[in-house]
Amino acid sequence: MRNTNSIKKVKDKSKKWRDEVYSAKKERKQVFETLSGFPVEALYTPEHLAEMDYLRDLGFPGEEPYIRGVHPNMYRGRTWTHRQLAGFGPPEETNKRYKFLLEQGATGINGVYDYPSLRGYDSDDPDVYADVGRGGVAIDTIEDMRILFDGIPIDEVSVSLVSCQPIGNISLQSMYFANAQNRSIPFEKLTGTSQNDFLMETAITIAPGVLPPEASFKLSCDAIEFCTKYVPRWNPISFAGYNYREAGCTAPQEIAFCIANAIACSDELIKRGFDIDSFASRLSFFHSAHNDFFEEIAKYRAARRVYCKIMKKRFGAKNPRSLMYRFHVQTAGVALTAQQPLNNISRAAYHALAAVLGGAQSVHVDGYDEALCTPTELSSLTALRTQQVVQLETGVTNTVDPLGGSYFVESLTNQMEDKIHAIIEQIDNMGGIVKAVEKGWIHNEISSAAFDYQASIESGGMPIVGVNCFQIEDEEIPVELFESPETLKVQSEKLKKIKKERSAKDVQKALDSVFRCCEENRNLMEVIVDAVKVYVTEGEISKTLKRFYTVWDPPLF
Amino acid sequence: MKGKKRILIARLGMDAHWRGSIVVARALRDAGMEVVYIGNQMPEKIVDSAIQEDVDIIGLSSLSGNHMILAPEVVKLLRKEGLDDVMVIFGGTVPPDDVPKLKQAGIAEVFGPGTSLKKIIGFVSN
Repeated sequence: MRNTNSIKKVKDKSKKWRDEVYSAKKERKQVFETLSGFPVEALYTPEHLAEMDYLRDLGFPGEEPYIRGVHPNMYRGRTWTHRQLAGFGPPEETNKRYKFLLEQGATGINGVYDYPSLRGYDSDDPDVYADVGRGGVAIDTIEDMRILFDGIPIDEVSVSLVSCQPIGNISLQSMYFANAQNRSIPFEKLTGTSQNDFLMETAITIAPGVLPPEASFKLSCDAIEFCTKYVPRWNPISFAGYNYREAGCTAPQEIAFCIANAIACSDELIKRGFDIDSFASRLSFFHSAHNDFFEEIAKYRAARRVYCKIMKKRFGAKNPRSLMYRFHVQTAGVALTAQQPLNNISRAAYHALAAVLGGAQSVHVDGYDEALCTPTELSSLTALRTQQVVQLETGVTNTVDPLGGSYFVESLTNQMEDKIHAIIEQIDNMGGIVKAVEKGWIHNEISSAAFDYQASIESGGMPIVGVNCFQIEDEEIPVELFESPETLKVQSEKLKKIKKERSAKDVQKALDSVFRCCEENRNLMEVIVDAVKVYVTEGEISKTLKRFYTVWDPPLF
Repeated sequence: MKGKKRILIARLGMDAHWRGSIVVARALRDAGMEVVYIGNQMPEKIVDSAIQEDVDIIGLSSLSGNHMILAPEVVKLLRKEGLDDVMVIFGGTVPPDDVPKLKQAGIAEVFGPGTSLKKIIGFVSN
């Protein structure tokens, strides 16, 4: 765009157009801005991209700075993975849902765990009886993991473990790997992702009595190290920007917190003696697709360019895969409404379209009933069909990065990038993301953003159809609601039986070695993969970890 | 006469969502109430805190689906302690059929997704 003469002409004409033509027109509101507060002008022209150097700033897909996509052919080759989230009740029930989704054309598994399993509790713990089997599948021992993947070819299908909190993940991921060994599937054949993000434990789904940030962060890095050594095709972490956004973050915060987290993990792994290129290609990201269509597309594109620059300049990464920002997208749950729930089908379709135009590697579309209950079979199927409609009917997969070069999208991408860099710098100045969590800075940033968001809904500045406009009084909800299957009894009985049949001596030995491993500050996954094989429960492992690392009450309010 | 209204906000059980409870807590504080936020707790602890903090209202939050088990338990324990004047309200994701059941169990009001802060503040102030 550096043809200065031509840009000058556009600028002059643009000014004339604004002054003489546009200024006479009325606008329907005073301020136009994106959901995250970036100003939006009436029209974008080459003058907005006057500084852009095509080869330097955009380049080609599959090449630096990867803004146009991480693969040269993007969806003209392979389309994104249709990875629908599923998980509820006991593993026997979720196993059926996985198989149903695979039969219906899903191309990957995305398994979420129930609230107790995410936080490292067994189903029979006195504090969790009301939440067993809710929000995901209940897993207590390796036997549950066996049942969950029974009959599913885990050497062929890629599996995402939505084990977001490191305290739960260290056991769940170990059970998954140990179960593969029991099925004689070598680690080299396993493909998938575990979420394993310490921010989830200490700043996002927070509760009192979690692991201190530094300990939770250590566990997440142990899993990365373990996979780097033994499970080469596994993504041992998926920075959970989606959840940061759900908790209240803005779009640039969502990306900046993820990248600041990736920086901390990279620093730690390098400190442990690993070369950046030995693990960076396996760091992956998880993002939201929220309401502001173009802002979301700009967000994904900016993330790719920021990350490439950081991995290259800050860490000296040389392997092209280390520079690639690969991500999964889930359509924004927080944008769904309980009112007129079928409207959510159209919302989620726009969200999914933004993810695809932003170059996502895999996508989950939310069920239309998620503001009311766990998705039913019908809503899960409709969500999967939404992906298939976007892929097969809209034609958006025919060319790579179709919005690249749009004056508006490129300008917004540039603004987004500047903001992301500024937030990362702020976190750097605090001593990194772990310190920013310890101080409560992250919590405060997120809750302030959440409050501002709610305030703009209240003021009517942010219209939400069915909520603050076009409401229906005394609406009859036209959807069939999900009934959670009996889980507490099923899981408690299994636990009782396993505890009776397992070797108490082996269990004690395994737990002792976990504790010793903490004392010696060695890699915990190395011992936990063995511990779960003798039927040590998830709760027993997390209690041992908490005994050593103690617990932390995050700054809540 | 007591001065400011005192309200305890707690998330039930293992529920993982804090956005709603924090936003409501902040709005109530900005509206001039004294807010005690205790995060995730089980019913016994919530009632203990309500006694210690001498609150007028307990606001429970949950999106996990545990509401039918834990919210009535809070009311039951409160009444057992003789705290008949403490009002309990609930906010979160609740299937429509459960709303009358929660009210039957002694929950004064249920605020679902999309409820305006104005409405909640209005209800709590009166």
